[in-house]
Amino acid sequence: MDDRLKETLSAMMDDEADELSVRRLLSHARQDEVRSQWQRWQQVRDLMHQGNLADDRVDVSAGVREALDGGFHKAPGPVASTRRGRERNWHWPAVAMVTLALVVGFGAGAGWESADTSASVANAGLPSEKAEGITSEAVGEPVQEVALQGLDEEQWEQVSRYLLEHAQHNSVGAGRGSVGYARLVSASGAGY
Amino acid sequence: MRKTVTGIRTRCVNPGNSLLAIVMVLAVFVAGQTRAETVARDAEYWLDRLGPALNMTSYRGVFVYARGDQVSSMQIAHRYQDGVVEERLVPQDGANGEIVRKGMRVVCVLPDHGRIQLDQVIPSGPFAEAFSSQLMPVSRWYQPALVGDDRIAGYDVVRLALKAKDELRYSHHLWLEKSTGLLVKSHVRSSGGTVLEHFQFTSLEITDSLSDSEFVIRTEGEEIARELAPKTTSSPAPRMEGWTLGWQPDGFIPAAAPRSGKGQAVAFSDGLAAFSVFVEPSRKIMMPTGASRIGATTVYMKQLEAGDVDFFVTVVGEIPPRTARKVAESVKVDDALAFGALGK
Repeated sequence: MDDRLKETLSAMMDDEADELSVRRLLSHARQDEVRSQWQRWQQVRDLMHQGNLADDRVDVSAGVREALDGGFHKAPGPVASTRRGRERNWHWPAVAMVTLALVVGFGAGAGWESADTSASVANAGLPSEKAEGITSEAVGEPVQEVALQGLDEEQWEQVSRYLLEHAQHNSVGAGRGSVGYARLVSASGAGY
Repeated sequence: MRKTVTGIRTRCVNPGNSLLAIVMVLAVFVAGQTRAETVARDAEYWLDRLGPALNMTSYRGVFVYARGDQVSSMQIAHRYQDGVVEERLVPQDGANGEIVRKGMRVVCVLPDHGRIQLDQVIPSGPFAEAFSSQLMPVSRWYQPALVGDDRIAGYDVVRLALKAKDELRYSHHLWLEKSTGLLVKSHVRSSGGTVLEHFQFTSLEITDSLSDSEFVIRTEGEEIARELAPKTTSSPAPRMEGWTLGWQPDGFIPAAAPRSGKGQAVAFSDGLAAFSVFVEPSRKIMMPTGASRIGATTVYMKQLEAGDVDFFVTVVGEIPPRTARKVAESVKVDDALAFGALGK
């Protein structure tokens, strides 16, 4: 685990990590390392958090950083400047997002398959008279694949919003009851 | 049954033939009913029950949902009482959160809740009714077949296969509980038979004795409560100003539109699967062209130039990548100005 990932992890504890960084972290090959690091910090945080429950103004996250040797870089400035007043709920969204991702063992993007490896794609024999927009594609060729991990932050933001909106609609729409809920929570909780 | 009939018959000999006839008719009727119970129901029967059962069954349980590499589980309690649906959903993994709903009132405590628009989480209400009736023509696009009995989460179920009749959509397998028709397991499968998405109750109790206390919020956290106004328009009109869709797979009809922030979106459903089409001015961002998949969900993105303006076209849905691509390729923007007004 390199420093950049640790920095992200640290930032997540403070609810300051941007989504792209979180995605990078979650696609890190050594998830066990990430998990154990997270758990160590979590323990420290819990200790400190219990000791300071009465005082909302204590910046627990900064304390955690110091306690853990202070070797981490400051999180991005603009976010840091908005921290006052956020301490109360800092532990909630970030921890929620990360534990959901780590405990369940998926990260955003981890479930994405290459679009052209599936039999369904290869067999899907769509008449492709409409496909001339993709220059290199001829009839029967697999659909061009886009690795979502390769998208930049803005692009990812865009795509994840579409995913969520579709899931939301689907939870209302398809009359599938719980499946719709599942798609929705899956889309919103995966650290997107 | 036969015993009873015989007994009645012997007693009825004296009062006369008319009463005997009535009893005979009754006996035949009852016997006929009984036989119908034992004869295997056909697939259409189960399809008809699917929609209403989702709302009108009372149950509690835990289900898992897997797509791609993701697995998540949720606890659910669902009660249908005096025509009102009450529901409590609790994600079982990671974050504490829950959705509690009573009729039109919803309280939502969810991680990243800011992104979930409550009025769109709700699977019931006017929209659900509309969709339930849309389940009817499903057999035009899918070949329904009963493929046997099974047991899921302790309940006897009937397994229903809905094989796509063309390659524009995925096939679905549904497991329905026998006495209520409740959906307890489902698969979305590719034409090659690969399971792309998996939903299944791992524990389930279908019961009418759900107490009020099971529908109380227990998670501490930021709560968002909202009163869901009844939808005034019964037909969800697609927002497609300024662009047209030249092609959509047969059987997909416009459905409730997702709400896209700056652009225009429209959704289609064939009763089982759904996809959404988003068209937005692209501003500064460039998007790659191509498809990505997670489980049964495909995202197909492309750029489109119309009248010196770049647009994103994105198709998201539980459809094969090729279908998504064909839909995306058929989008034509004929009035770029319509977006300009909307985008600001």
